[in-house]
Amino acid sequence: MNSLHKLVARMQSGKRSPTLHRSRIASGLLLLLLLTPRTYAFDLDQLSAQLAKPAVVRGPLIQEKHLRALPQPLTSRGQFVLSRDLGLLWQLQSPLKQDYRIDSQGIAKRTPSGWQQQPGQDVAAQQSRLFLAVLKGDHSGLSKDFQLQLSGTAEAWQLRLVPNSLLLKQIFSRIQIDGGALVQRIELHETQGDHSVLRLPESQAGDALTEQEQRNFAQ
Amino acid sequence: MPSERWLPRGFLLLLAALLALAAWQWRNGPPVAADMLALLPAGSGDALVQQAEQRMQEPLNRDLLLLIGHPQRDQAIALAQQVGEQWRGSGRFAQVQWSVDSDLAALRDYLRSNRLALLPAADRQLLLEQPQQLIEQRAAQLFDTFAGFSLLPIEQDWLGLGVRAQQALNPGSRIQADLSSGALLLEEPGMTWALLRASAQGSAFDMQEPPLIAAQVAATRAQIETAGGQLLAAGGVLYAAAGQAKATREISLIGGGATLGTLLLLLLAFRRVRVLVSLLPIGMALLAGCTACVLVFGQINALTLVLGASLVGVAADYPQHYLSKSWSNTAGTDGWSSWGALRATLPGLSLSLGTNLIGYLALAFTPFPALTQVALFSAAGLIAAYLCSVCLLPAWLRGLQLSPSPQLLSFSQRLLTGRARLLGKVGSAPLLALLLLFCAGGLWQLHTQNDLRQWLGQEPELLAEAQRIAELTGQQPTSQFFLVRAANPQQLLERQAALSQRLDQAVQNGQLRDYRALSQLVAPDSQLQELRAALSELPQHWQPLLDLGIAPAAMQNELLELQQNNQASLEQALASPLGEAWRPLWLGAHADGVAGLVSLQGLSNSSELQPLVEGLPGVQLVDRISELNALFSATQLSAAELKLISSVAILLLLCLPFGLGGALRVVCLPLLAALAALACLGWLGQPLTLFSLFGLLLITAIGVDYAILMRENIGGPAVSLLGTLLSALTSWLSFGLLLISDTPAIANFGLAISLGLLFCFLLAPWAGTRQATANQAQMT
Repeated sequence: MNSLHKLVARMQSGKRSPTLHRSRIASGLLLLLLLTPRTYAFDLDQLSAQLAKPAVVRGPLIQEKHLRALPQPLTSRGQFVLSRDLGLLWQLQSPLKQDYRIDSQGIAKRTPSGWQQQPGQDVAAQQSRLFLAVLKGDHSGLSKDFQLQLSGTAEAWQLRLVPNSLLLKQIFSRIQIDGGALVQRIELHETQGDHSVLRLPESQAGDALTEQEQRNFAQ
Repeated sequence: MPSERWLPRGFLLLLAALLALAAWQWRNGPPVAADMLALLPAGSGDALVQQAEQRMQEPLNRDLLLLIGHPQRDQAIALAQQVGEQWRGSGRFAQVQWSVDSDLAALRDYLRSNRLALLPAADRQLLLEQPQQLIEQRAAQLFDTFAGFSLLPIEQDWLGLGVRAQQALNPGSRIQADLSSGALLLEEPGMTWALLRASAQGSAFDMQEPPLIAAQVAATRAQIETAGGQLLAAGGVLYAAAGQAKATREISLIGGGATLGTLLLLLLAFRRVRVLVSLLPIGMALLAGCTACVLVFGQINALTLVLGASLVGVAADYPQHYLSKSWSNTAGTDGWSSWGALRATLPGLSLSLGTNLIGYLALAFTPFPALTQVALFSAAGLIAAYLCSVCLLPAWLRGLQLSPSPQLLSFSQRLLTGRARLLGKVGSAPLLALLLLFCAGGLWQLHTQNDLRQWLGQEPELLAEAQRIAELTGQQPTSQFFLVRAANPQQLLERQAALSQRLDQAVQNGQLRDYRALSQLVAPDSQLQELRAALSELPQHWQPLLDLGIAPAAMQNELLELQQNNQASLEQALASPLGEAWRPLWLGAHADGVAGLVSLQGLSNSSELQPLVEGLPGVQLVDRISELNALFSATQLSAAELKLISSVAILLLLCLPFGLGGALRVVCLPLLAALAALACLGWLGQPLTLFSLFGLLLITAIGVDYAILMRENIGGPAVSLLGTLLSALTSWLSFGLLLISDTPAIANFGLAISLGLLFCFLLAPWAGTRQATANQAQMT
């Protein structure tokens, strides 16, 4: 579930990708679309463009882990700031207090002595990189790893990602993203039966980072 | 004479048999090995230590590691896949791996039942000493968005021991499996490296495979660079290929150069094309030496061939013995005849062979397989060259009218006159004193140096790539390792765990980067009991988890499972999908029990290892490099003894024709020459190595030839000196060319011999008898 957000982040900044890549990606996605029987009124290119519009998106986050063995989900709350230039700031506030920063360098964790880059050791860090590649405009990576299905309209769309590769399939069964002008909800289904939901219910688009936010990104 | 008829025939028969044997030996391609290290002395350890050394060395020899880099991650992956498929298709490799298709289900099962035994040391300590904190960390982890991916579903791992054990499975590695492609990746800013591993078919050190593999790596490099990427490659096979190419180059340069030089020298001196058949003993020597080595050792090492190529100069000497007599006979009534000259010089020729053999065979008694091979090669080669010179050549040279260059003779005469004039002015004694002074001065400055690195030629490019790979992967396997013996697997694990405790300390102190022990894969029983006892205390601390809504029954069930699970035995664990990296460490059962290794990574100082072993029963540090370097130094002493013994043997042999006084004189001259050569090394600032010492060992044997030639004085001093000069020139040609070798050991050997032979030539005239000197005085 963790990486969903990164996925969104990446898609939003798809616009910055070099033309060469974009065209390759676009053609890859186009092919994908041709293979599906329906013609969409709203396509992946338009979605990328739409999500990349705001320079900054911020708002509260609610994360729910639904475990089969627990009667109620494990719920965490916090704030997030997504910057087109600086990446994603993910601040968990309750019950756990922990900040993360995800950018082209990978994932960093805030410690008393400042941001500490996490080694690319575990799968979570890797997922963040995978999606980050997409953020950089490397869409071909995304369509290689997942089957993408977009439905709905620009105001209410749904993107479904189903993993292709053997290794990924053993971890996720599918990922589902819902949104309108901004991403609103990400659902991640693990192969083993648990699932997580990330809700970004009151996200606001903005033009620039506040000073406080800039400081948070920096240290 | 009948002997003039049957000798050549007999020899030709022998030659035919030798050729047939050689052809049979070469039926499956050249029986040449390129592994320089195989020529080093075997370790002093017992069979188990040697088995362990072989186990550690094997992957280094067979495995090839490629890092395929590209600024774009997906390009790197695509290139690795492309190259991997090409390589797999080539059929040249036993195994090519560029991706993992991990069977996560099997991993999960294993992890579930063995997580307690897999816990890393730090987590064990947490469980034993601060269970409260363990629980709190787990509770926080459940809410963490980026806590990481766990193999076990949360409801099977409430306590989080599975997550902790899982992190220990890939200790310290920076290599990650890409989730979508399964490619093994290393990330650095601006570059993604994809890993590809290949194992060569069979031995990496036969002659055929390494050049083909090196060529394939070169082609792959070109292909990747065209695609905008970068390739790093490392592996024993590449060193073997480079070493082989170098050896081939050097053999052709040294052998070819020496042969060509000798050929020109012969033409210049004797001015008859037919004289060139006297190059035949050279070919015979190489053929016989090679065949004998393959016969005895099953194969011949490239290093032996390089050193053996220098035999050319010595083998070419034998015909000189009688060819050079043509200067004295031309004026006679019957002129020079091949058989006649041979009969006159046969005793001297045989003495030469005897002394040469003694010198070369002395090399065989050093503990170095390399020199044993060289000794056998040379002994067989010298005998063949001698037989060829004695049996066949005179027949082929029969009826040849030699008209040797008179200028050379007069040159030699002038040299002698000059010497006589010099001696007349100052006398021998002051000259000797001067030489001894020179020697003392040189010896004063001489320093010794012995290092394994002298064995290995430098391959800076390969080395740089290997270092870069070690930097990137963080894997720097060391040649040092620990061998742990025990009565049974349980005791082995206990002992490795005890060692691991000290190693953990060393890792914390920064002396060591990492290590791998069997006890990481399977905890010994005593450790497990301790952990299980701590587990039964855990319910007092787990309220934070219950607060999340986890049912107490679920927690109890998990605890019960952890308490009662039968942990996999060492052998089961090694067979499991997790066990792969540990498999090489298990040496299995033998007569006295079982044995296993502990391998090390990134060692800063090997001298810090020995204290770690103290007081640990059954644990032994195996450090081949230190052992070898120590052996090198120890061997210097035995080499000096050998030199003494071989000198005595030569002395005894020479007593027969020359009497004790003459023999002493003939033996002392090359000994003095060796001393002077040693002093020269000192003056030149060159170190005395084991190899220069071996070179000096040979000087006694070869240099004594010149003294014999002068002593026998057949055809007069000037003719004898000319014969000596021709002999010395051919020897310099071959040994001097060893100087160009890239392998420090070989170049050092060549330098010592060249210097020694120079002094042997300069000193040779003193071997003459008084009578001869008197004769010469009359002539001038």
